[in-house]
Amino acid sequence: MTIRRFVVALVGMSALLVGGPPAPSAQEMTEQFIPVGQSPGLSGKYTVIGKLHSVNAREQICSVASAAGTVNAKITERTKIWLDRSLLRQPNAKGTIADLKPGLTVEVKLEAHLRGVPSGPAEWIKVQVAASP
Amino acid sequence: MRSRELVSTALVLLCAVVGLSGCKTAPPPDRQSQLIAKGRDLFFNETFAGNGRTCGTCHPAENNFTIDPAFIATLPKDNPLFVAEFNPELKENFENPALMREFGLILENLDGFDDLKNKFVMRGVPHTLGLRTSVQSPGGPRTGWSGDGAPGDGSLRSFATGAVIQHFTKTLHRIPGVDFRLPTDEELDALEAFQLSLGRQQDLALPLRLKGTVPKRGQEIFLDNTLGKCNICHVNAGATANFPGRGSLGNANFNTGVEDLPDQPARLTGRRVPRDDGFRTPGDGTFNVPPLVEAADTGPFFHNNAIETIEGAVAFYDGEAFNNSPAGRALAKADPKDKGIELDGTQIVAIAAFLRVINVLENIRQSIELLETSRAVSSSTERARLLARAIRETDDSARVLRGGGLHAEAVAHLQEARRLADKAGRSAFLGRKYSEEAIREQKKARAFLVE
Repeated sequence: MTIRRFVVALVGMSALLVGGPPAPSAQEMTEQFIPVGQSPGLSGKYTVIGKLHSVNAREQICSVASAAGTVNAKITERTKIWLDRSLLRQPNAKGTIADLKPGLTVEVKLEAHLRGVPSGPAEWIKVQVAASP
Repeated sequence: MRSRELVSTALVLLCAVVGLSGCKTAPPPDRQSQLIAKGRDLFFNETFAGNGRTCGTCHPAENNFTIDPAFIATLPKDNPLFVAEFNPELKENFENPALMREFGLILENLDGFDDLKNKFVMRGVPHTLGLRTSVQSPGGPRTGWSGDGAPGDGSLRSFATGAVIQHFTKTLHRIPGVDFRLPTDEELDALEAFQLSLGRQQDLALPLRLKGTVPKRGQEIFLDNTLGKCNICHVNAGATANFPGRGSLGNANFNTGVEDLPDQPARLTGRRVPRDDGFRTPGDGTFNVPPLVEAADTGPFFHNNAIETIEGAVAFYDGEAFNNSPAGRALAKADPKDKGIELDGTQIVAIAAFLRVINVLENIRQSIELLETSRAVSSSTERARLLARAIRETDDSARVLRGGGLHAEAVAHLQEARRLADKAGRSAFLGRKYSEEAIREQKKARAFLVE
């Protein structure tokens, strides 16, 4: 086996090992109405639920402290932020980075559809609004 | 006179004893059967504390798990399908009742709920048959017309959650716990199990040894990758694609140009029907490949119910909308003569005849299965339900064959099978016998279609 073949095989195997399941073709639009922790097949498996630890508005990065550790989520132009107001029995709504305040409970779905990835661009962030502002 | 009465009574008692002795005690249902039964109950009866709709409102078993204008016309005015007509909270921007009644179209906010008046699409209701064969792709599960019908992980299991939010809500605020409740994990498991149990559990293996001259030629054209080219995107008349040079694509998405069809019925009304951009938001214009075995009795066709007949649906691929589409151009590029799909009228009808016949073969398979199951169950309600479905499948079979002018002898046997299944449902003691005879007639009908 040549070195080149070996490297190709190694890369291929690595891709298989860490690739995980394919990213789903999920319908994002109804996702905004699903409360934190209840997204079917995602919550707790491919999302991180925890307290917002810090928000770096300049870098557009937020840190979430969860039971599994800290996750750093990059907020991109593709990231959707939703305010989960179901506990208030009010309609969920679109949010912005200004709604991300340390101490709030959030659920983050990273774009990489992998378990245990510590950081990356966020596909969506749900912010649980537990009390009227 | 008295002795005659005594003889009659004795005969009735004898029949009852004979009938009862034929009863087999049904074995206890296994875990999967219990899950499917629970899923069936949820599918048809659970409203999820919403506006009264159930999954079965749009996917009724009595109409092949889909709805069309003819079926809709049979529903009472207070059916929850028409909730936008009688619930003031849902009067605006929830459905378009006129397009629902005339074309069987349902409103969906697939590109977001922030501008309900302008951001929506109008889609037909896909049937839920053969889902075990038609959801998986290397890119993940594909559900609904554009493949991205389910929230969460995008799986069939998650589909019900999105459907409840879109279609079951009491108000347009869509507040969980107020306007509806979301299905639990256990309910999603059961709903998935039930849906996967419907219809075919595996793909056909073409070619079949068909007997009819025209359907047989239709199958040849269907399988000919230089003529009909149908088998490229509908391998074995299913929902998986095997594109030249790209291998198996699973249940793929393609932009076939349906949105570019001229004179689309819904748009002819002058009502606002925004362009449907398909998969993802913003969409890429692609839609998911549906299985064809179930097609002939589940029209109208395509995501927007643009075409009413199976012949018209086949003819679409001979038209400009398809041949100028990305999928049509890709087919032409893969063709040695740079040809898309060019078919004449006889060839279009032949392919449609083939699709009619494979649909009827599937209906016969289902009818026999339903009749056989009806013979084994002890619950009279369950037996009646199974026989009623067998009758409807048989009616579909006869209608599909007659609609194409095909296999008149088979139609005669199907009519007899229907009569016997009906008798089975009405007979207290001879139900099993009539069911058995109905099965025999179904098999005779099938023998006219295929070797």
